Amino acid sequence: MPDMARLALPRLLLILSISAPLSVSAQGGNPYEGDRTAMRAGAALFGTRCAECHGADAKGISGPDLTLMWAAGTSDDRVFQVIQRGISGSIMPSSSAPDREIWAIVAHVKGLSTVSPFENDTGDAERGQEVFSGTCVRCHTVNGRGGHLGPDLTRITVVRSRDMLIRSIRDPSASVAAGYRTVTFVTQDGQRVRGVTKSEDVFSIQVVDTRERLQGYLKADLQELTRVDRSLMPQFGSDRLSDSDLDDLLRYLGTLRDADSNGR
Amino acid sequence: MLLGRFVRGLARSLTCAAAMIALTGLGTSSLVAQDGDPGVTYADILQGFSDPSSWLTFSGDYSGRRHSPLTQVTPENVHRLTPIWTFQTGTTTRGRGFETTPLVLDGVLYVTGSNNLAWALDARTGRQFWQYRRNLPNDLTYGASAPVNRGFGMLGESLFMVTLDAHLVSLDRKTGSVLWDIELADYHVGYAATMAPLVIDGKVIVGISGGEYATRGFVDAYDPETGERIWRFHTIPGPGEPGSETWPQDAEILARGGGGTWMTGSYDPELDLIYWGTGNPNPDYYGDDRLGDNLYTNSLVALDAQTGTLRWHYQFTPHDLHDWDSNHVPVQADIMFGGEQRKVVMVANRNGFFYVLDRTTGELLLGKPFTETTWAREIGPDGRPIILNDGSEGCLPDPWGSTNFMPPSFNPDLGLFFVTARETCATFAPQEPEFVEGRSSFGGVVWIDRDHWYSALRAIDVQTGERKWEFRYPSATMAGVMSTASGLVFAGDHEGNFMAFEASTGQNLWHYQTGSRIWGAAAMTHMLDGRQHVLIPSGTTLVAFALPESRP
Repeated sequence: MPDMARLALPRLLLILSISAPLSVSAQGGNPYEGDRTAMRAGAALFGTRCAECHGADAKGISGPDLTLMWAAGTSDDRVFQVIQRGISGSIMPSSSAPDREIWAIVAHVKGLSTVSPFENDTGDAERGQEVFSGTCVRCHTVNGRGGHLGPDLTRITVVRSRDMLIRSIRDPSASVAAGYRTVTFVTQDGQRVRGVTKSEDVFSIQVVDTRERLQGYLKADLQELTRVDRSLMPQFGSDRLSDSDLDDLLRYLGTLRDADSNGR
Repeated sequence: MLLGRFVRGLARSLTCAAAMIALTGLGTSSLVAQDGDPGVTYADILQGFSDPSSWLTFSGDYSGRRHSPLTQVTPENVHRLTPIWTFQTGTTTRGRGFETTPLVLDGVLYVTGSNNLAWALDARTGRQFWQYRRNLPNDLTYGASAPVNRGFGMLGESLFMVTLDAHLVSLDRKTGSVLWDIELADYHVGYAATMAPLVIDGKVIVGISGGEYATRGFVDAYDPETGERIWRFHTIPGPGEPGSETWPQDAEILARGGGGTWMTGSYDPELDLIYWGTGNPNPDYYGDDRLGDNLYTNSLVALDAQTGTLRWHYQFTPHDLHDWDSNHVPVQADIMFGGEQRKVVMVANRNGFFYVLDRTTGELLLGKPFTETTWAREIGPDGRPIILNDGSEGCLPDPWGSTNFMPPSFNPDLGLFFVTARETCATFAPQEPEFVEGRSSFGGVVWIDRDHWYSALRAIDVQTGERKWEFRYPSATMAGVMSTASGLVFAGDHEGNFMAFEASTGQNLWHYQTGSRIWGAAAMTHMLDGRQHVLIPSGTTLVAFALPESRP
């Protein structure tokens, strides 16, 4: 059954027209930033023009997941330009839609993609950095340093709320993103491999193993191929990570949020 | 027939020699004019697969079975099948696939591609003779959202192709130059055309796309020589016409009722009937302003080939709210059914049911689910589905359906129907749409649960509707199917594999990773220089396979 949280959205999808006149350039930021009415209209426009490739939830079908764009450091202006101009040489077309419609779509997708900044941050960012270096860095990267088995966390607080992050740390297996799902198997020469699945078809599987080695295998050569529901990431209950350590860690991750905004 | 082809081939060679003489000034141009070669005739297409070197119509023959009699590639040797060339189209398709079926005649492939490009290719090498590129307007409507094309029709020295701006063009087979060009409908409203024309005796039959817009579907017949329209059948009746009682009595609603006809039909030359699938009512998901069954949407219609008159219809999904178009290739067979020899037409439908109908009368003989859908599990005695889940429980087949337009195939020796079956789970949220000319009106949004989807190649026993075997794919595939008399089934998947299976067991025997999902396309096959070629379009490539040449 589909996630009920996702089902709440259609009720917002009234087809609204945006009548406010607009004469802004693409460099002026989004005039509809946070405008609920415009975002609803943007949602309706997105449903008819973008959802076929990017999915109704913007998480991607044949086109890429758009909800990760802001986390990757893009700007509203850049997204506007891509929608307007298309991507040459790709299947992403240009658009002749009025600016206000494109901005409404940008506002909608950004709304799906970002969360409000952490509130009531009580932790100590410096201590949090120590926690990260001691506990997380083996598998997670921030600011270009760290392991690659798990997702890069540099801008994670742009797209994940504090509550979601706490859940992901305390119980990582509750929800595991595609690209990070655990697989185990035994190779022809008897090696037992554990890693995350990056890609898979009927005949082959592409994994990053726990030593961060990228390797493809033919399924016919493997034994005991098992997809494990659990994340490779261990559970960090309060016995392994105290509430105050967690607080510090989140405070630290929060400081990274905007540090990297010019980079990409 | 074969002799006729040989004689014509010889005539072509002589003509060629004559042309050279003419060009070198050694003869007179009147020699060229004496060329009596009629090119492809209706009789050639009627013979279907009897000439192993050609594939002259979308499904290979009029029956829609896509079952080739070729036997060089077998379950025993298919593991040695090897790519022999790749053609790069240089054109991409937004969100869709390279959906065409090439035609082949005398060693030349005639291929349509996305964005209304088309080519004549050397079937030996994949090298190009000519390219056609239509100058498309920049304000396409439906054509912009699905800029695909599914293939040529062919007759005489002409090729026929429909376009994204809803025209039908005739091209000169030898040069790709336009012979005539006519408008099917106004693309500004939302019309487009993507299907492969079906050529019958003296007529080019075409359908139309755009059921997501305020359009009214039709099937048309055109004169192959002049492009003049011979007849038009509207899939949505006009006010007061039969079928209009299944709609609100409102001319405006009827005029935008949808019912696209965007997939090639099949033809029974003995009954002189054309079988054609029709698409969803408009708007797709919102039905409150179109209460009633909405004939003739989501139906199979049997049309008199001479007049376009409706002979019978069967509606698979009355009052559809889920975009379950019935634009499938209708597959004909003459089989023993219930102890009687019957002429049947078979459809595995987007709504999850496999149907067998008497193709003379339209009588329903069998209707059984071929997927796990909970929408309905049986067809009632009145021929209507008994609906168990109207969608309020979620988890219906998604708008791409339990299968779709990707061609299935039928092996009459095994009595097995091979189809790509999609197991999906979608929740529909209808909303009353605005109707704006040139803007799509889906009437809501859909959530597809991609954590619970897969697909499978399934073999259905056509006598019972029971599943004989399946081969599962990890995601919901949109690739079509072709089978051969040697006992093979060729199919593809969303991950890009082109595969061969043993038709009787479903055992996978061979695969080749094409590098792009195979989407909407099915394979075709033909003989050339004594070797069986198997072709599949995928992404931006057309790849030809054959067994390795035996060298001394």
